[in-house]
Amino acid sequence: MSAPVEAASTESQGGFAVSPVFHRAAQVAAGAGLGVLVLGLVQAPERALTSLLTSGFYFLCLGLGGAVFLALMYVANAGWFTVFKRIPEAFASYVPWGAVTLLALLPFVTTLYPWAKPGVMETDHLLHEKAAFLNVPFFAIRMGVMLAVWVGFTWMLRRNSLRQDVERGEPLTRKNVTVSAVFLVLFSLTFCLAAFDWLMSLEPHWFSTIYALYNVAGLLSSSVCAITVVAVLLHRAGALPRLNSSHLHDLGKLMFGFATLWAYLWFSQFMLIWYANIPEETVYFIARMHGGWEVPFYVNVVLNWALPFVLLLPRPAKMNPNHLLRVAGVLLVGRWLDLQLMVAPAHQPEGLTVGVYELAGLVGVGALFTLAVTRAVRTSPMLPVGDPYLVESLHHHT
Amino acid sequence: MSAPVLIGYFEHEAQVLAATRAVREAGHDLRDVYTPYAVHGLDDAMGLKPSRLTWVCFGAGLLGCTLALSLQLYTSVVSWPLNVGGKPFNSFPAFIPVTFELTVLFAALSTVAAFLVRARLFPGKKLQTLPRVTDDRFAIVIAPRQSPESLEAAEDLLRRHGAVATDLKEVGP
Repeated sequence: MSAPVEAASTESQGGFAVSPVFHRAAQVAAGAGLGVLVLGLVQAPERALTSLLTSGFYFLCLGLGGAVFLALMYVANAGWFTVFKRIPEAFASYVPWGAVTLLALLPFVTTLYPWAKPGVMETDHLLHEKAAFLNVPFFAIRMGVMLAVWVGFTWMLRRNSLRQDVERGEPLTRKNVTVSAVFLVLFSLTFCLAAFDWLMSLEPHWFSTIYALYNVAGLLSSSVCAITVVAVLLHRAGALPRLNSSHLHDLGKLMFGFATLWAYLWFSQFMLIWYANIPEETVYFIARMHGGWEVPFYVNVVLNWALPFVLLLPRPAKMNPNHLLRVAGVLLVGRWLDLQLMVAPAHQPEGLTVGVYELAGLVGVGALFTLAVTRAVRTSPMLPVGDPYLVESLHHHT
Repeated sequence: MSAPVLIGYFEHEAQVLAATRAVREAGHDLRDVYTPYAVHGLDDAMGLKPSRLTWVCFGAGLLGCTLALSLQLYTSVVSWPLNVGGKPFNSFPAFIPVTFELTVLFAALSTVAAFLVRARLFPGKKLQTLPRVTDDRFAIVIAPRQSPESLEAAEDLLRRHGAVATDLKEVGP
C-alpha cells in the first residue's frame, strides 16, 4: 500500500468523538419526543400513531437507504465512495432501532388501519375480498420477516466492512458483493410489501402498482441527501479530511438523478390515474388535491423535484458544500412532506396538521437516528483502511 | 499559411501535465494538448475555462420545452378544440410526456450539433493528425512568437520537462 493510505490511517485512529453536549441533547430529545408520543397514545391515539408511522418509516428508510447505497456500490464494483463509506454504514446501523419503532405500531394496528377495525370485514365487501391478505396475524408475520431480513443483511454488510479494517484485503469485499446482491433482490421484494402494507393499506380500497417503486425513489433521494449532509458536516468537523469536491460532485449528481427519478414516478402514478379517471383510483388524489391538502400537494412536487432540479443544474453547484447542504435540506423536508401526504390524509382528511404530536414523532425518532449514527461513527474508524478501493477513492477525480 | 507551430512529444502523463503548466507559466502561446485518453487535471493545467456547451444545452432544452407546450396548447385549445373523455381542452398533465420528450430531444441534438460546429468537425473534413497521439504518446502544441529566441526557449522548456522529440510543423488555420 502506498504512502497516502498510511498517512491517512494515522490521521483517523479510532472514531470521531461527538461533543458530549450534543450527545446529551440528542438523548433528551429522544426521551422527550417519545414520551410525548406515549402521552399522545392516550390523548389522540390516531394522531400519535400517524406521527409515529411517518417518522418511524422516514428514518427507517434513511437507515435502509444507507444499506441500499452500499449494496449498489458493491455490486457495481464502485470505488469512489470508499472514503465516506462509514457514513452509509452508520445509517445502516440504525435499522434495528428503526425496526423497533415500527414494531411498536403492532399493538395499535386496529386503531391505525381501517381494515383491521373489528367488524369492518362483515360490512365492507371489498375489504372482505382482501381479507386473506389484510388480516392482523399475517400483517404481523410479514412485518416481522421483513424487518428481520433488513436487520440481518445490514448487520452483515457493516460487520464485514469493519472486519476488513483488521483483516485487510479483497476477500471481505468479495463477500460483501455477494451479500449485497442477495440483499438487493430481497430488499426490492420486501420493500414493495412494506410500502403496500404499512402505507398503502391505510386507505385499503385504493391501490397503485407503482406505489412501491415511487417509495424506493423517495428512499434513495432522501438517503443520498442525508449521506451528503453528514459527510459535509464531518468534513467541517475535521473527521473526513480526505473528502474532496469530486466526491461531492458525484453525490450531487446522484441527488439530482434520484430527485428526477422521484418526479418521474410521482408523475407516472398521477397521470395514469388522472387520465383513466376511474373513481376507485381517483379517490386518492381527490382527497389530496382539494381542501386542506391542496397546498401541500403542490408544494410536494416543488420541494422534491422542481427546486432541487433547478438548483443542482449547474456543474459548480454540485461541488459546493454549502449549496449541497441547502438543497439536501430542501429534499429532506420534501421527503417528510411526501410521507405526510401518503399517510396522514387517512386519519386527518381536513388537512396537514403540524402540532405537538407530529413534531414529537419527528424529534423523538430523529434523535434516535442521530444517536445510532453518532454511536456508529464514534465506535468505528472513519477511514476504512483495509478496503482495497480506498486508494482509488482518495484520488477520485470527476 | 500561418507561422509554424512547435510540437513536443511526451511519453508519460505526469510529464505532459507538468510541461503544460510550465508552458503556460512561461508565457508561451499554448495551442492545444493531444492525448490518447482523457487525462485528469489537464483542463486545470491548460487553464481552460468551463465549457460553454452547457448553456447551449440549457437554452435548447428550454426552447424545446416552450415549443412543445405552445404547440400542444395551440392545437388542442385554440386551433382545433376536441372533447376527449370530457377532459378540459387545456389538459396540462397530458402535455407533459410530449414536453419532456421534446425538451430532451432538443437539448441532446443541439448540444451534439453545437459541439461539432465549434470543433469544426464535419463530414469530409481533412484532418492533420500527429503521429501516435491516438495510441501511446502525448503532444503539446505551442504557437511560438516570431523571434527565433522564443522558439529556442520554448523548445528548451519542452526538453527539460521530458519531451522525447520536438518538431516544427506548418498547420492550416
